[in-house]
Amino acid sequence: MPASGADALKPSAFLPVCTATCLLVGASSLFFVFTCPWLAATICPAVPPCCAILFLFVLANFTMATFMDAGVLPVASEDEDKDDGFRAPLYKNVDIKGVQVRMKWCASCHFYRPPRCSHCSVCDHCVEDFDHHCPWVNNCIGRRNYRYFFLFLLSLTFHMMAVFTFGLIYVLHHMDDLWKLHFTVTVVVISISGLFLLPVLGLTGFHLYLVSRGRTTNEQVTGKFQGGVNPFTQGCCSNMEYLVCSPISPKYMARPCKKKVVHVQPPFLRPELDQQMPVKVGDNGLHTLAVENKRPSAGAVELSDIKQMKSPPPLPPKPDRGLLKSHADDVGHHSKSVIPVSIPTVPQLRPVLEAISRGSSPIPPEQLLKASEQQGNIKGPDLCSGFRESPVRGIHQGGVSIQPPLQPNTVYSSLPLNSRSLTLKHSCRYGSKSQLPAMQSDGWGSSPPAGIITSSTLLANQSSSSNDGPSFDNFINPADPQLMSQRGVNFHSHFMMLGTDGSVQCPPPHSYSPVFMGITRQSPQPRDSSPSLKGLTSRDPSPSLQGFIQREPSPGFQGLITRDLKSQSIASRDVPPPGVSVRDMSSQSLRDSLRDLVSQDSTLPKSAAARYDNFSKTIMASINERRELEERERMLRLQTRPPAHYCADAGIYDIPSKRSLAPDNVRPPGSRGPTPPAYGSREFLMSTGILGYGMRTSPLSNSSTLSLTHASKTSSSPLQNCSSSSLQNKGRSSSPAYCPSERQTASSTSTLPRLTTANSSAPPYTSYATAKRSSLPFPSEGKESVTLGALK
Amino acid sequence: MATEFHNLQELRRSASLANKVFIQRDYSEGTACRFQTKFPSELESRIERTLFEDTVKTLNTFYAEAEKIGGQSYLEGCLACATAYLIFLCMETRYEKVLKKIAKYIQEQNEKIYAPRGLLITDPIERGMRVIEVSIYEDRGSSGSSSGSSSVSVSTAR
Repeated sequence: MPASGADALKPSAFLPVCTATCLLVGASSLFFVFTCPWLAATICPAVPPCCAILFLFVLANFTMATFMDAGVLPVASEDEDKDDGFRAPLYKNVDIKGVQVRMKWCASCHFYRPPRCSHCSVCDHCVEDFDHHCPWVNNCIGRRNYRYFFLFLLSLTFHMMAVFTFGLIYVLHHMDDLWKLHFTVTVVVISISGLFLLPVLGLTGFHLYLVSRGRTTNEQVTGKFQGGVNPFTQGCCSNMEYLVCSPISPKYMARPCKKKVVHVQPPFLRPELDQQMPVKVGDNGLHTLAVENKRPSAGAVELSDIKQMKSPPPLPPKPDRGLLKSHADDVGHHSKSVIPVSIPTVPQLRPVLEAISRGSSPIPPEQLLKASEQQGNIKGPDLCSGFRESPVRGIHQGGVSIQPPLQPNTVYSSLPLNSRSLTLKHSCRYGSKSQLPAMQSDGWGSSPPAGIITSSTLLANQSSSSNDGPSFDNFINPADPQLMSQRGVNFHSHFMMLGTDGSVQCPPPHSYSPVFMGITRQSPQPRDSSPSLKGLTSRDPSPSLQGFIQREPSPGFQGLITRDLKSQSIASRDVPPPGVSVRDMSSQSLRDSLRDLVSQDSTLPKSAAARYDNFSKTIMASINERRELEERERMLRLQTRPPAHYCADAGIYDIPSKRSLAPDNVRPPGSRGPTPPAYGSREFLMSTGILGYGMRTSPLSNSSTLSLTHASKTSSSPLQNCSSSSLQNKGRSSSPAYCPSERQTASSTSTLPRLTTANSSAPPYTSYATAKRSSLPFPSEGKESVTLGALK
Repeated sequence: MATEFHNLQELRRSASLANKVFIQRDYSEGTACRFQTKFPSELESRIERTLFEDTVKTLNTFYAEAEKIGGQSYLEGCLACATAYLIFLCMETRYEKVLKKIAKYIQEQNEKIYAPRGLLITDPIERGMRVIEVSIYEDRGSSGSSSGSSSVSVSTAR
């Protein structure tokens, strides 16, 4: 009896097990001694051997059930639970096959109990797949020994039935020898077996039922899955198969320790950040990121910055490299990190992001400009040098963002927008952008109506954090590839689109959709930056962009776009000719942001202005055309969009490229896009009003634009929006998330997002946990019906 | 304890445990042993994402192999039943065999990849298969040559 708890070692705890043992062994022994000889002689000589084998089986299983470690989980070390300190929520939700399961914090063992794990008060330890504490074996029945316990019950039932039956036969045949010893003993034996047969039979039947349903005793008696869906069952047959054939899991306690020493000695290698981000080689003193990263672990600034930024996974650098290289060649310098350089670093944007997360009014562009100015002090001639810091970070950011857009989409919903907007701001401010990449409005702003874009898209546009690298790409498409190549600028709305030779490639119309559609939930960490970025953008239908568009050669915009596109070498002094066709500048938010930014910036370098003036008429025409289209869309949405029907799907980063949203204009404003995020996922719960849990429409494209609307509309923290939007993008309507992002996030959902749909009627299954890490501005008002359904 | 000297005046650099990152379990597919492959932000500046993800994915593969219900596990169960579970006294279960492989793999990863980067991975089995513990070490700088420096030696198995 491997009981370490005090209760299990009490003398009284041994009473039942001793009784059971005595009864079992004693009765069976008596049966074999007194009854079996006659049975062998009279009925069949095989009867005693079979009974003996059965009895041995019973004993073996009894011994295993009694002495085998049930799957005791060792107590967590202090290091592990120090994060989950006093602020730790009591429950942590996890999504298992679409069903929300609660993990409770075990105060004794200092960890969140895994699903199906429970703490045995008798033994005072947590047991994996805890079934119950059996007093008859004085041991917990859990994952490792449930099979033996079940087989013990089964075999004991058969054994008792056999003993009872054969004893009865003996008694009936010896009715005339009532007072013989054998007779008396047999009567006693069948009395005992008959007396305990019924309870044992009942218990066996009960466990047969549990196995068929895939439940544990603990779950059955607590009614966990009474009315809902049990995520742990695999079907009756599979459950039986798992019971009998599954490998025996190892024990966790008292493992044989094999000391293997691994020496950890500095100097430590550092990751090659240039592999993750474009290598930036400035010819005017700009630090190359690769160089900096190779420094020993003395703490490169870039590294620290990187840490601060907590950027999303880096983007694949290859296309970017190609782009940058070719671009460099074109512009006379090779800087691989075009966009990143121009992007204000996250630290700069932090106040803005925080403002956004708080839902407060965004930081005026002036402040942001100041922040960015302080950061890099990048101005026209000093563009290269000024970006010394920011490029480094930017490079990192850019590099980080240089990854398949699919990856960071989920979390950084607002980031792309933010980065983009920030990029725009930067370029507008410093204006030395060589190129003005065509704003791929379909990436972000184009598809959603202007009104929709507002904050979310603006954020996206404004955020220039490198985290949003891919977002930039999504947004910024060279309006005119031909034009782009003309200017020698390699614009790639999408990193994937970048040709290896750097030539501008027009991304396919739907190039961005996967980015947004395939968003998975990610840790909320990267979202931290987005709120501030969001705050940067005004939520009202920013007229800035519009005004900017209207404003003819606005150097600021040109420069802004240029940077934003990332396809330009920010560090390049040579401002490339304004070949960037701001194709999608019609996106309202973008326009607004641009206008805001541009209007604020009066110190654009002259070169930028000159460049802007050189915009081809074609570009401007397309810009205007797009702008008008966006305006129309925006008006339409503003009129028809129901307030409560926000797509639950990812707001910000769900914004697909306009091209990807084919039926954009025909979609009802209130239609929901992809299904809400996975239940139980933290992001899901944290999705705020932006991602209303209205009806879900399967077509992702539908929701994508609407998600933009929602995201932009609500001033809730983009943090939650991003997370939830990514979840919501999954397109599931009723069942909990199939969101693979579950795997990504710790999925500690604390509160449910504010649900604006009528579905939020079910009691929040997951809202009991206090927000440990999240500070949702919108406490869950209701529960997503889907979530409820999932729970059931 | 290894002291590294490059020259007579070599400063002994030592590492100290700075932080621990815990990779949690991924329960999205049930209670099967699987760890999240999400790259923790604390390691962003310490190790390449791909390396880390490869490690976790390989571990997940190992665990999936260990918990696979198939012919081998069935035979193992039958044999155990037939011998009244006495076979467990002499034979190692399949899971244990895979655990040994995992321990070896982690040891190898630590030696080749993580230790040079100032990281150490702890076998999840030591934590009850709940988390993968990644210890982050920082360069404490160099200590005086006279003092005995020590590199951090961590036993990977307890």
